[in-house]
Amino acid sequence: MNQSKVMEQNQNNIGVLEEHSLGVKPRFKVGDRVQIRNMPYFFYTRSQMWARGVQGSIAALTYPDLVPEDEAFNVDGRVEQYYIVRFRQKDLWPGYPFDNDTIQTESPERWLEPVETK
Amino acid sequence: MNKAQDYSTDGAEHHHPAAPMVEEITDFEVLEIAVRELAIERGLFTAEDHRRFTEFAESVGPAGGSRLVAKIWTDPAFKARAMENPVKACLEIGIDWSKPTGFGTPSDYTHLTILEDTPTLHHVVCCTLCSCYPRPLLGMSPEWYRTTNYRRRLVRWPRQILAEFGLILPPEVEVRVEDSNQKCRFIVLPVRPAGTENWTEKQLAEIVTRDCMIGVALPRPGRTTDVHPIQKARRPVHSSSAQCERHSHERSLQ
Repeated sequence: MNQSKVMEQNQNNIGVLEEHSLGVKPRFKVGDRVQIRNMPYFFYTRSQMWARGVQGSIAALTYPDLVPEDEAFNVDGRVEQYYIVRFRQKDLWPGYPFDNDTIQTESPERWLEPVETK
Repeated sequence: MNKAQDYSTDGAEHHHPAAPMVEEITDFEVLEIAVRELAIERGLFTAEDHRRFTEFAESVGPAGGSRLVAKIWTDPAFKARAMENPVKACLEIGIDWSKPTGFGTPSDYTHLTILEDTPTLHHVVCCTLCSCYPRPLLGMSPEWYRTTNYRRRLVRWPRQILAEFGLILPPEVEVRVEDSNQKCRFIVLPVRPAGTENWTEKQLAEIVTRDCMIGVALPRPGRTTDVHPIQKARRPVHSSSAQCERHSHERSLQ
């Protein structure tokens, strides 16, 4: 019952990743190059279109939790790691005039795929 | 013939029926009412619980967030604890994220990340999904935060949005937009402004307004409220110098 485990995590000690990792082994670490997959979804997702297919890097590991696509249908699905992913605005919008500007989004692991770095 | 008689007479020449006292509500509000009534019917919570949750949610304002930032500014040991586990650190300033249900504000999550600004990095938060917001710390989100205008434009034109709030940052400062699109809630920790060196926590909290913690304003001595000047709409980008010239020409003709 992953739903009840996640709920318990949130009730007991919110945000303490180490103590409540629910046995999740993160696939990525901070600094890894990733891109947001462009997957189909059924009625509900929290993976935004603006970030699909864009390459960025892992900025932080946040918490393990159920994915929204399962939660929306009350499916007791897999618990997985969530990440904050950072993109350069220049990589998102052609002609964006400020070199340093960045944008971050949060994503569960299944929406991320590694990017080969040369 | 007086007015009272006029209203009661069907088909009278100057018949002005009273407007029906029905407020317009959106489809989402209808959906919320339907789900709420079903939940009460099924015994998931009582009508009394719902009233209590609503009153709790509406009573929370941004003061908690201001206290959090002020304490972080003045207490390095607290800052370390807050950056390590923000939700736990909130308990030290009397904010319990699990309230009032035991597992948080209804319908919201209980993960928090503090986004620390530096002199060369400025954070600003939006939620492109809807209006995700650190409600235990900041209360209900302001109306503009929920508009599609703010949400979609902040992702694409962050500096223009900030400029509309009166915040113009030099190009060398990295503007980092945080889309609060999953379960983390975000609060901006601004840089402590100069001229506040000997201030108490209480004094500091007064200048840390809601807008400073969303990232559309910077705290400074003397600025204690979020006042948005009403500005004339203008093309945010791609306004070529020719257009600008035409504008000023038109204005000079008036």
